[in-house]
Amino acid sequence: MTAALVERTLALLGAVLVGGTAAVQLKNELPVHGLDAHVAKVLLGLMILGCVLAILAALHVLGG
Amino acid sequence: MAVSALNATHEAVDARYNDVDPVYAQTRDIRLTGFVLALGADCVLFSSFIFAYLYLRTSAPAWPPFVDGHQLPRLDTSFAALNSIVLFGSGVTMHYALENWKHLKKAAFNGWLIATIVLGALFLLGQAHEYLSAAMTWQGSSFGASFFTLTGMHGFHVFIGVIYLITLFIQANRGVYTGSKYFGLTAGTLYWHFVDVIWVFLFFLFYLW
Repeated sequence: MTAALVERTLALLGAVLVGGTAAVQLKNELPVHGLDAHVAKVLLGLMILGCVLAILAALHVLGG
Repeated sequence: MAVSALNATHEAVDARYNDVDPVYAQTRDIRLTGFVLALGADCVLFSSFIFAYLYLRTSAPAWPPFVDGHQLPRLDTSFAALNSIVLFGSGVTMHYALENWKHLKKAAFNGWLIATIVLGALFLLGQAHEYLSAAMTWQGSSFGASFFTLTGMHGFHVFIGVIYLITLFIQANRGVYTGSKYFGLTAGTLYWHFVDVIWVFLFFLFYLW
């Protein structure tokens, strides 16, 4: 097992865990009002996008 | 059920700080708007460098560019993906830290905040490892110049963020914040999410595209 494979596997597992948790946090944050809550929603949504990108990278769909 | 409980908590907190300190309630919104505008200004700064990178990249005949007749290798995606998850994970732990503070669970707040600080520091170590193992230099090519400038600027933001979080940890444990007054913690959480999100774009532009 190469170092790259270990890194990709850890990245994949981490991305699923972090992305899933961020999605739950976003769901809980959705009904909350206020500027800070709205900004947090946008930022959490983009962070979930980052996790999706990391999953695609780990699966060799994106990147080298 | 969980959502309504959370809303009830937020409403209770709102009502509490309105009752306890009306001046704080009024100035909090002004300070929050100012802080969000400051983040917006930071966004413009990053956008300028990102568009400069996009211009350099799209106007080059090949990417990564050639230096002394040899094309530079692509960056290591595997390690970058793992390091990205470390940073994104820190965003999740920071969010939990703030939620626990709102629910007056100080021990849990401390635990999540320490986890955030550790993950932020780990990301910086990972970035240092990337720099040391990079096949390019700052001066050698437009790729190297863009990479080190943008990721360096981001790394500096993370470094400042780690110091900011350590400061928040000390302040929170010295009683600067209460269950109804915690603007610094809210601002810290938004700042930390912001550096996470900037990395989403840099990760895509430098490693995946």
